Amino acid sequence: MTPQSIIPFGSSDWSAVVPMTIVALSALVVILADLTLPKHLRRPVVLGVAILALAIAGVVALGAWGHPVAAFGGAFVLGGFAIVFEEIVVVAAIFSLLLGSTLGREDQAGGAIALVLWSASGAMLMAGAANFMTIFLGLELLSLALYCLCGLSPRAGARESALKYLILSSTASGFLLYGMALIFGATGSVSLAAIAGPTISNALFDVGCGMFLIGLCFKLSLVPFHVWTPDVYEGAPLPVTAFMSVVTKAGTLAVLARFAYALAPLPQAHAILAPLWIVAAISMIVGNVAALAQTDIKRLLAYSGIAQLGYIVASMAGTSEQGLRYAIFYLGAYTFMNLGAFAVVALLSREREEGSRLATFAGLGYRQPVLAGAMTFFLLSLAGLPPTAGFTGKILILATDVNSGYAWLAVLLIVGTAISAYAYFKIVFAMYGRTTGAEIQRATKPASALPWVGVAICAVATLALGLYPILPSDIVPLVK
Amino acid sequence: MIWALVIVPIVAGLLCYALPRSAENAAKWIAVGVSFAAFLVVAFGYGLPDESLRWLQRPFAANFHVGLNGPGYWIVLLLALTTGCALMVTRLPRGRDFVAQMLILLGAMTGVFVARDLMLFALFWDLMLIPVFIVLVAWSPTKSSATAWKYLIYNLTGGLALLLATAAFGIVQGTTDVIGAAPGSLAQISPLWSFWIFAGFTLAFLIKTPVFPFHTWAPDTYADLPAPMAAVVSAVQSKAGLYGFIVVGSALLGGPMHRAAAAMIALGLISLVYGALAALAQDDTKRIVAYSSLSHLGLIVLAVFSFDPIAYGGAVVYIVAHGLFSAGLFMTIGEVELREDTRLLSRLGGLGARNPRLAGGLTLVALAALGLPGLCGFAGEILILTGLYSAGLVWQTIVALVPIVLAAAYMLRLFQGTMHGPELADLPEREDLSPIEFLALAPLVVAIVLLGVNPGPLAASAASHGTVANAVARVETP
Repeated sequence: MTPQSIIPFGSSDWSAVVPMTIVALSALVVILADLTLPKHLRRPVVLGVAILALAIAGVVALGAWGHPVAAFGGAFVLGGFAIVFEEIVVVAAIFSLLLGSTLGREDQAGGAIALVLWSASGAMLMAGAANFMTIFLGLELLSLALYCLCGLSPRAGARESALKYLILSSTASGFLLYGMALIFGATGSVSLAAIAGPTISNALFDVGCGMFLIGLCFKLSLVPFHVWTPDVYEGAPLPVTAFMSVVTKAGTLAVLARFAYALAPLPQAHAILAPLWIVAAISMIVGNVAALAQTDIKRLLAYSGIAQLGYIVASMAGTSEQGLRYAIFYLGAYTFMNLGAFAVVALLSREREEGSRLATFAGLGYRQPVLAGAMTFFLLSLAGLPPTAGFTGKILILATDVNSGYAWLAVLLIVGTAISAYAYFKIVFAMYGRTTGAEIQRATKPASALPWVGVAICAVATLALGLYPILPSDIVPLVK
Repeated sequence: MIWALVIVPIVAGLLCYALPRSAENAAKWIAVGVSFAAFLVVAFGYGLPDESLRWLQRPFAANFHVGLNGPGYWIVLLLALTTGCALMVTRLPRGRDFVAQMLILLGAMTGVFVARDLMLFALFWDLMLIPVFIVLVAWSPTKSSATAWKYLIYNLTGGLALLLATAAFGIVQGTTDVIGAAPGSLAQISPLWSFWIFAGFTLAFLIKTPVFPFHTWAPDTYADLPAPMAAVVSAVQSKAGLYGFIVVGSALLGGPMHRAAAAMIALGLISLVYGALAALAQDDTKRIVAYSSLSHLGLIVLAVFSFDPIAYGGAVVYIVAHGLFSAGLFMTIGEVELREDTRLLSRLGGLGARNPRLAGGLTLVALAALGLPGLCGFAGEILILTGLYSAGLVWQTIVALVPIVLAAAYMLRLFQGTMHGPELADLPEREDLSPIEFLALAPLVVAIVLLGVNPGPLAASAASHGTVANAVARVETP
């Protein structure tokens, strides 16, 4: 055996995974720096290294635009699609780190930031994964780091949150693995490209696809697989919640899109995917209805995220290329408006207490009009109202659903939006409504001013994407 | 330049928050300046060239396309004028924040009437809800702000229906850049699609106008809004629905619009009569004006669905006329409330003796509202009624005459109840209108008289404008 055949991969294979390697290795640098540096330098240096590494990874990934590579025998496809998802993961990770002042105790910060980086690299692997092995590898890398991160906070609910996430997420992984095994049994291949080829249509394959989809729906927290989300979001530290709300979803969505679009040419695809669109429709309604009753912003954003993911999956109904582009656009919009809202919550957080209770927002419109205005803007976007990215994104999804014969999804989307407006405007109401003196909290300095950067960038991006929607081109083919 | 009309007020409004909290007067006069500057730009800007920027290419073409002509021109003119006048009389706690919201509202509503693209129209349509909601919440007389929620739920339902209809229209037509487009340039839409698209738009327009049975948010909203914003909302925001029927409904969806005419005329008549009767029974002066608006706007609905060229001219005249006198009414009622701390007819009375200038102002706007010949209300009414009659809607014309008589009754009741009769001893005694407050009413009064004497340009602009001519022509050759 020549060395060539033992490692049958060339430099182009390795260059495809450079971005995620940078992120993963930088985590080691972070840990070393945390161990060796004097105490007062630790946090700024560690944070700087992490953000710099993510930014470099983002730039490197962008450099591969226009030169799609199918690396490692098609196990990792770095095309436009993967790059867009990697960028979203990188941006979300950077913003989450900006909110990082409440991320664990002082002595935990280095480890926590390293875990965030590993988790992000897992999501970046999922973004390009086109083979069941890489999908599972990415997913577990993403999730294992998150289990630890969820339990970081000293708050009472944190351990419960971590354990709940561990158990339910492992169950989902079980479904996913079993589904993969069944599909492998039917097709004899672990590659996603193989299922798009001539497949024997049999029950084994169909059941495998069903279990695989159930596993993904768990991870995306679509109704009825969503029950874990609000508790985990509430218990986890704020930056971790912000990170999870985008990165987990982005990684899993990439896998879902690849799988659904690989399946689409098959004759039985319609029957296999139909439940997915129904699950999306139920998520839009149930997520928004449940959001109505919440008095904690993190729980509210958890339920709102369930509904938003419903919109995104609904955009893929009909598995058209346009629909996928709009889904990605909406995911990008969701990233900014959601992280913007989290950044506002971070600015209201104090040393010992996160500012996620609705009461914290009482009278904010008078105390801090700029912050209140920014929050209103993000909420408008989440509700799909102009002049925001959420508005443009929603119109695009409506149009593609009507176009591809899923008008019922468009109607349900509108119904869901109408319900959601009430949930979001409850916060606006709290900020601007009449308050008695006792309810208005004393304006104290936020623990860190860094989230202001997040608020500003997210606000500009939310406005700009709404007025000048950048739709990703060159995203197909997804598998090779 | 047209874009500046939209963007400058919104940016100015946001910048108001940068002023110190105590700079209420500075904020107010900056806002007045912005409004009247906008008024001047519009006044000399008729037919400014359209401005357009690409927004979306797929799945349908949408542009940031704005224009300043047709019926929208006169409404924008009205908007800038009423906003400026209303801002001049603003006296509220937290004045800086209120002024800021007024400016944002000015920009957003200007956008509705200059938009020449349906998606842009939808954008501003939803945007103009936000400042009103925030003001309803922040200056609510109650802590629960039930009115704000009612306003939001009704109008957002309409707004979302409009959004869905716009997306569907874009898909079947391939473009949404269609407001004011030449009639031949549009593709035929299948009856099924055009029915559902029209239904979505109609729901939004009926709620916004409002027309019975979607009107219940309006009296509450007008009663709870601070007078300056109530003036602008009733004068202009309520016209968005009627404007929509003219430029979107009859111009683009003539088929279903025509088929819906009988039902809409029935709703218009019910609003017309019901609004007038309800106005007679109210004790709250703001609610009297709110219900009178329901009645007057019902008449415009009749005009729009008569498809008669004279009635269309009358509709545009009456849209502006109603804007002028309802803004005047809300402003004068606001002044009454500032002086007596109450709006209830059962408590008010005898104000005229000590406040001759206020009484004079209220007299004139009330007379315009009840349709005195020579003032703007009459000009609109007579054109609409003539048009209705010549369109063959004879008995509808007769029914429509009844509320015009009732209008005299409730407007005189309003005037007598506040200005004449004995004055309760426990009411405070305050000064008559200050020169500035008087000056704020003056432009409205001048416009009321001017429009009453010479409604020609407005009526003609409606008839000459492509969309309306198109709508009317379509009816003549079905």
